[in-house]
Amino acid sequence: MIDLQGVVCCIGDQQFHFELQLPAGQCIAVMGASGTGKSTLLNLIAGFETIRDGKLILNGCNSTHLTPKQRPVTSLFQEHNLFSHLSVFDNVGLGLHPGLRLSQLQRVQVNEALAQVGLAGFGKRLPETLSGGERQRVALARSLVRRRPILLLDEPFNALDPARRQDMLKLMDQLRRSKGLTVMLVTHEPKDAVAIAQQIVFLHQRQIYLKGTVMEVLASQKAALLDYLAHPVIPNSHHTIV
Amino acid sequence: MLSLYRIYIGNNIQKFWMAFSIRIGLAGHGWWLLSLASLAVVLVPIIVALGTLLWHSQTLMFRNLTDVYIWRVVWFSWLQASISTLLSLLLAIPIARALARRQHFAGRSLLLRCFSLALVVPTLVAVHGMILLHGHQGWINQLMISLNSSGYHYLYGLGGILLAHVFFNMPLAARIVLQRLETIAPETWRLASQLGLSSKDIWKHIEWPHLRTVLLPLTGLIFTLCFTSFAIVMTLGGGPQATTLEVAIYQALRFAFDLDQAVLLSLLQLVCCGLILWVGLRLGRPLQLCPSTQQRCQRPDLHSVAGRIFDGWMLFLAVLLVLLPLLAIVVNGSNDYWHVVLDDKRLWYAAGNSLWIALNSALLTVILAMGLLLARRHLQLRLGWHRAATALEWSGSVILAFPPLVLGAGLFLALRSWTDVFALSLYLVVLVNTLMGLPFALHILSAPYLQLARQYDRLCSSLGLAGWHRFRLLEWPRLRHPLAFSLALTAAMSAGDLGVIALFGTPDVSTLPLLMYQRLGSYQGEAASVTALVLLGLCLGLFIVLELGLRGKHD
Repeated sequence: MIDLQGVVCCIGDQQFHFELQLPAGQCIAVMGASGTGKSTLLNLIAGFETIRDGKLILNGCNSTHLTPKQRPVTSLFQEHNLFSHLSVFDNVGLGLHPGLRLSQLQRVQVNEALAQVGLAGFGKRLPETLSGGERQRVALARSLVRRRPILLLDEPFNALDPARRQDMLKLMDQLRRSKGLTVMLVTHEPKDAVAIAQQIVFLHQRQIYLKGTVMEVLASQKAALLDYLAHPVIPNSHHTIV
Repeated sequence: MLSLYRIYIGNNIQKFWMAFSIRIGLAGHGWWLLSLASLAVVLVPIIVALGTLLWHSQTLMFRNLTDVYIWRVVWFSWLQASISTLLSLLLAIPIARALARRQHFAGRSLLLRCFSLALVVPTLVAVHGMILLHGHQGWINQLMISLNSSGYHYLYGLGGILLAHVFFNMPLAARIVLQRLETIAPETWRLASQLGLSSKDIWKHIEWPHLRTVLLPLTGLIFTLCFTSFAIVMTLGGGPQATTLEVAIYQALRFAFDLDQAVLLSLLQLVCCGLILWVGLRLGRPLQLCPSTQQRCQRPDLHSVAGRIFDGWMLFLAVLLVLLPLLAIVVNGSNDYWHVVLDDKRLWYAAGNSLWIALNSALLTVILAMGLLLARRHLQLRLGWHRAATALEWSGSVILAFPPLVLGAGLFLALRSWTDVFALSLYLVVLVNTLMGLPFALHILSAPYLQLARQYDRLCSSLGLAGWHRFRLLEWPRLRHPLAFSLALTAAMSAGDLGVIALFGTPDVSTLPLLMYQRLGSYQGEAASVTALVLLGLCLGLFIVLELGLRGKHD
């Protein structure tokens, strides 16, 4: 589980406050307008930003002062997930050993992970020969071999076309179920949340504004949320359609 | 019937011409006029100079190729340039890495500032600083003697040449390497810290692949600068053991007036430098010389003790190599002779000349560079003639391989029969300095200019934004910083250049570097020190005023 207790963080002259408890094994969609702190929230959990005040507990272990490497977390960014001069196999292998000294068993693991994301046989290729979706799959394969229970995704599928995006979401969902992962997914697309998330965390003015199941949050009538969504996703029964 | 036919032909020619002019974009645009003029200003002096020298060298020059002296000079040129380049790069990479890792150490911004100024410190002044620091009476020797050790004599010959070349080129290389390191995406650093990459892994997987593309052209540039360096080799080298092609050309022209030899030597130099530049430019990407805004990065390899100690030593070495000679100039220049020197009218006259030369040649350089880039933009983006576009920009860089002395001597001989060359000497200096600054201005301007063109060329065409208005509304606001930087850099370089003025300077026409050279030659050490300080002040002042004054508030 992910537990932020009164966490405060400063970036420049902006201050962020987070108070959030999330159960393990679920997919949580993080939504909110630009600049409200979605990426900051993920960066805090991954350890890329320092926590000024408060406590961060990941899977029962106080992680407030751990280095990114020590945390039970793995991240997937929108781009720059792969080293362009390393082969697909090596890029995945880096998740097992940072100096790429892999045992026979680990080599098998890499190939299995590639097969799980649908890229069996792609090991020798270079990232530049892959499509955007395939590159994200390689990064996902690396997240899998790292065997970290928490997976953080910062708008990872934004550059993909709708069909590829749907495929990736399905793959994500399937992997979450089979590996028991906790997934946090930053997205602007309510449809994504409906498709794979159990909960939504909605940020506004640099703090948590709403939290609840997907249906609860999307049906909420709070002004900030309605502003953000522009038009309601779930038709409200009180409104009569003329 | 015939007249109808004529009209038919005439119409067709007219149509063809219209189609052609629309196709190559002549209609309504003066771009080609400016571009052709720029190209002419660049190429005509080179062709005239080389042609005149060839014309004047009567005998078949290739008989000289059997001369042992020439091959010794060629060998030494290669040797010193190779070692200088290697040393500069080997020091620059760890120093840049230390600067990238230690974002918060106290003197960082001062050191970086000095690194960018090292490019504009006049060669002669730097050499003077080297002598004050490393010479027989220098600070280091005095320290050694006071510690009861025998003095060292390493300054004259290869040792001094290498020291001076490292002083100039290490900061240049370090800045370019640092900039390249700063372009690494923040996500990459986050990934590295999540994967727990060690310092060695980071070098292998992140930094080296990033630097590789920039190292080849950087090597080419530094090698060419060392290969053609003149004032350093003339003052610290000399003698048959330590003479480069550039100095040999000067000696052939000034002392022996042996045109055959000069032509042969300059052709050899052209071949050598051309080869290096070609390899560097062909295999690498263009360098970014203009400083850019840096971004915050969170590297995971900041905390190891060994890394801290290593970085500390590297930064200490950088301070020793770059700051100490500058400090020596300032300390020695503030001696009791300052009022004698400053009262001297010759100093102010020479300073005035230097300023005039600097401003004129900087302005001309930037106009020429913009003219060439305009043509390049047209050829590349509108017509799709990529080869022609590259060739055009190449013509600007060729000068880097062409010895300025040969240019000067050739023009001197060509103009001698027409007019009084000594009366024109200042204009000739401006012309030669303009051409010498051109490769730098092109380096600085070409990437941002072309990127801007790629983004907005279609929009400009659809809005009918062209010519002066386009420059005023689009290019000036967006390219202000690189424009200011190239103006400042070329002005400072040209103010501090000894180069051609050494060839046809007369007592009536002198510049600050020449005055300083004369004072050094006549053993007026104190007066030379003050002159050096004034010259340093002029160059740095020009650079800072032009760069900060023109670049505006926003980058």
